[in-house]
Amino acid sequence: MIRIDCQVRRGGFTLALSNQLGSRATGIFGPSGSGKSSLLLALTGLIPVEQLRLELDGEVLVDTSTGLIPPAHRRQLGMVFQDHRLFPHLSMRANLSYAKPSAQAPAMAEVVELLDIGDLLDHMPAQCSGGQRQRVALGRALLSAPRLLLLDEPLASLDRGLKRQILPYLRRIRNTWNLPMLMVSHDLGELLALTDSLLLLHQGRIAGQGDLATLAADPTTLELLHDCGLVLALPGTLNRRDEDGLAWIRLDGPGAAELACGDCPAAVGDRVDALLRPEDLVLARAPLVDALSLTNRLPGRIVQLTRSRNRCIVTVDCGASVPLLAEVAERAMRSLGLTVGDQILVLCKAQAVQMRSLRLQIS
Amino acid sequence: MTDWSAFWLSIQVTLCGLAIAVAVGLPLAVLLALRRFPGRNLLEVLVTAPLVLPPTVLGYYVLVSVGRSSAIGRFWESLTGGPIVFSMTGCVLAATIAALPFVVKNSRSALEAVDPGLMEAAANLGAGFPRRLWTILLPLARRGIIGGCMLGFAKALGDFGVTLMVAGNIPGRTQTAPLAIYDHLLSGRDAQAQGLVLALTGLGILVLWLVNTWANPRPTDRRS
Repeated sequence: MIRIDCQVRRGGFTLALSNQLGSRATGIFGPSGSGKSSLLLALTGLIPVEQLRLELDGEVLVDTSTGLIPPAHRRQLGMVFQDHRLFPHLSMRANLSYAKPSAQAPAMAEVVELLDIGDLLDHMPAQCSGGQRQRVALGRALLSAPRLLLLDEPLASLDRGLKRQILPYLRRIRNTWNLPMLMVSHDLGELLALTDSLLLLHQGRIAGQGDLATLAADPTTLELLHDCGLVLALPGTLNRRDEDGLAWIRLDGPGAAELACGDCPAAVGDRVDALLRPEDLVLARAPLVDALSLTNRLPGRIVQLTRSRNRCIVTVDCGASVPLLAEVAERAMRSLGLTVGDQILVLCKAQAVQMRSLRLQIS
Repeated sequence: MTDWSAFWLSIQVTLCGLAIAVAVGLPLAVLLALRRFPGRNLLEVLVTAPLVLPPTVLGYYVLVSVGRSSAIGRFWESLTGGPIVFSMTGCVLAATIAALPFVVKNSRSALEAVDPGLMEAAANLGAGFPRRLWTILLPLARRGIIGGCMLGFAKALGDFGVTLMVAGNIPGRTQTAPLAIYDHLLSGRDAQAQGLVLALTGLGILVLWLVNTWANPRPTDRRS
């Protein structure tokens, strides 16, 4: 359990939040300038704070009100920066072993194996790709025996292919060491690959907290999510490929629902996330759809309707592990007469489903 | 035949002066590069003033500060038994003053060019300031620092005015190569002067060449 009370003033910007995070991994999300990175820097002691209290599993690590203010190098909060910040004059091996050895740190060999960086150890950072550098930066942070791992947009400087390479490693770290993690990103899809526990920041304040369905159920947070690019990540397994080249993903959850995906680089049996945008989903009453060309037709039940501005987000339980969020216009809502509890079909093109493989890919 | 004693004295004096300039100048450069404090600009002006002041003006200040009747001069004499002025100590002091601005200015620029994010990352990994300085800042700024030392060496080796005023021109004791060249020319010993002129020219060019080809920071020393 992480408890944070924090107040930071930087120029005209104020970050003020007080919060308790129940999950071991929390995704911090929000528009640019909402204070996401400032929060992590404040925790690490790299920027001055007006007030800060950080409690981790019952132990107070920092408390400015009682004078418990360890300097940055004594906080044991491992930070992975957006720009990796590897030391350019040191080999990857020297970068990894920069933090002094500690009994609490995982073994170097274990980290090297987990992150697949054995071949890079004798290279210099300049000789390696962005994804490789970011993996070494992750390893370096892990080897500093952090009490809490802070990830500041660790994927932002990488292109899409490289992001696919790093995300599975983040999940591996989460699963292997059960290390508390705070990950900042402006990309909701990235965060959802790591955790379903989100903290939404807006103008230096907490705008909402919880899983995506909870945040989408509140018109205010929904509006914010929408402005930042709302995307759904449905975990599942690549089940089969059909003769038309479509890849069918069996979604996790009791309904064993299947989604077709047009562009799918993974192999059958791989764990994948199906990424969907709410605006790409179409809702229909059952008798009307037989003549449509849309491939994906998931039956479900409306569990919530959230209105904001002139649109509405319809939360539909299709038997997947997370509910689907479909965006429909207010006018369409009225004409369909949608109400909570209705049975409905969620439709979308196979081409609108993006797929992210969570299988480890070695670059 | 050139008398090389003045040349070797110059080398000794310059190396001693450079060592002191580095011992004093590097901490000053770190201070100026990393910290904001009252009087920072004044300190910088004082350290770099030898670059712009006429050597005689500078020599006058040094004479007043460390002469036999000054507090520092008396203290030094009570400690060592000999004066600072008109001795090899005076030569070393003049060489230190000549080298110091180059050591401080170049080192400071090189230290400021190191990405502060790397120092933050090192702190986050548990390194206190001394370790960050030793393992990150100085290694990454080393080319600029060494470049500054080389330029300081060349400047100190060629110092004339301050050395003349503070240490005099005593053959075998305080007569450095530039003073010896002047002496030889005035006395019509052109051949002796030419040997020293060629040696100092060669050393100066060698230092500049080393600075240009090796000591300039390479892009890979910055964040890659």
